[in-house]
Amino acid sequence: MADVLSVGVNLEAFSQAISAIQALRSSVSRVFDCLKDGMRNKETLEGREKAFVAHFQDNLNSVNRDLNELERLSNLVGKPSENHPLHNSGLLSLDPVQDKTPLYSQLLQAYKWSNKLQYHAGLASGLLNQQSLKRSANQMGVSAKRRPKAQPTTLVLPPQYVDDVISRIDRMFPEMSIHLSRPNGTSAMLLVTLGKVLKVIVVMRSLFIDRTIVKGYNENVYTEDGKLDIWSKSNYQVFQKVTDHATTALLHYQLPQMPDVVVRSFMTWLRSYIKLFQAPCQRCGKFLQDGLPPTWRDFRTLEAFHDTCRQ
Amino acid sequence: MGVTCVSQMPVAEGKNVQQTVELLTRKLEMLGAEKQGTFCVDCETYHTAASTLGSQGQAGKLMYVMHNSEYPLSCFALFENGPCLIADTNFDVLMVKLKGFFQSAKASKIETRGTRYQYCDFLVKVGTVTMGPSARGISVEVEYGPCVVANDCWNLLLEFLQSFLGSHIPGAPAVFGNRHDAVYSPADTMVQYMELFNKIRKQQQVPVSGIR
Repeated sequence: MADVLSVGVNLEAFSQAISAIQALRSSVSRVFDCLKDGMRNKETLEGREKAFVAHFQDNLNSVNRDLNELERLSNLVGKPSENHPLHNSGLLSLDPVQDKTPLYSQLLQAYKWSNKLQYHAGLASGLLNQQSLKRSANQMGVSAKRRPKAQPTTLVLPPQYVDDVISRIDRMFPEMSIHLSRPNGTSAMLLVTLGKVLKVIVVMRSLFIDRTIVKGYNENVYTEDGKLDIWSKSNYQVFQKVTDHATTALLHYQLPQMPDVVVRSFMTWLRSYIKLFQAPCQRCGKFLQDGLPPTWRDFRTLEAFHDTCRQ
Repeated sequence: MGVTCVSQMPVAEGKNVQQTVELLTRKLEMLGAEKQGTFCVDCETYHTAASTLGSQGQAGKLMYVMHNSEYPLSCFALFENGPCLIADTNFDVLMVKLKGFFQSAKASKIETRGTRYQYCDFLVKVGTVTMGPSARGISVEVEYGPCVVANDCWNLLLEFLQSFLGSHIPGAPAVFGNRHDAVYSPADTMVQYMELFNKIRKQQQVPVSGIR
């Protein structure tokens, strides 16, 4: 009831404010009229200028006056329904015929519902963001069981196609030799030898790279029974660091529609390690930092940086 | 087995061999290197025996038989500027049987012993070179494990050597220049040690007390 009363009191201020707005508008249009008409004919040039300036000044003064008046009135009007939690829509609760127009209760329900929706959407987006990087077979298996048709087509490429892509990349880089094997079914494993610098074991699933391990040129990459050793890491800190960076690169080069481009970009990036021990850091100009050479290669420019110099 | 650089560290002014070695090891420890036991490289000289020399009419060559604790099951036999043979440790017994052809030079045994340090992928061995009872000098060996081509990582090795040797930086070892991008082998390290020992043998004996 207090709301209604205060609104009633302010009604006069409202009408005054409206007429003040009208006055302001007319004075502003007078200013533009005066500017449009320009200087009227008078005997002397000086007289013409004087009259124009005086007229323009008068007009501006009246605009200023009207604006001040409007500001004063707007303070009087205030903000009528600020104290209600739902702002102006809260006035709906004042409607005496609830049964015929249950707008207010419907509004409250809709409000609660949209609040909940936003909350749950936030939670879901958080969870989905965590999952997006996991591309392991297990995950795919679960979703495939539920929706057998939803399996991405890039995961079922024929082995022949994979072989072709790899052999094309092999021919592209003369200092890099790629040996492809399939010890466990259709998934390919690559042993990439880069010059006399390092060896990389790349585990593929179709044309997606699942895992990579970087080892020294003189390190053993086979297990005792002659299979590629995809689990143990390098004995050297420098290659452990490069392994970390290569894993970062896997996540960086992502283009689900064109997996062959991803593999090629990754190999191009990997090839820049041919100068692992020869290139000084592009930022500090030194070879060593904490006993390690520049192990980071920029994804775009392929320049060498120390891990801590790259930012 | 990575690329290795063996060099001689001059004895610091006003200090003896042992004090200079301590100075070096302290610098390494400050750098963050970890102690990892000891090492030893020894070398024995053999002449070709006079009897065989006469019959074939060629100049007597010196052969060096060396051991390195890094390769405990191997024995290295080298000629100066010549081939390097890598054999099992049984080779020593064979040399005894070959007395007729190769004779051990008397009191020629020279060796270096010291501590082995690991810093990241670097292996540093600072040793005291002794001949008989007297200390003759200091050897510094730096191995960079991840790299196998000497010329690839020489600049990197140089920067590391600068960090603890200061101004006494060695030039690139002769074996580095021999083959452009060949894989570095343990024999190359032994050749460097042989050259270092020969250099130290030729230096005048400095009387230093208190080593071993």
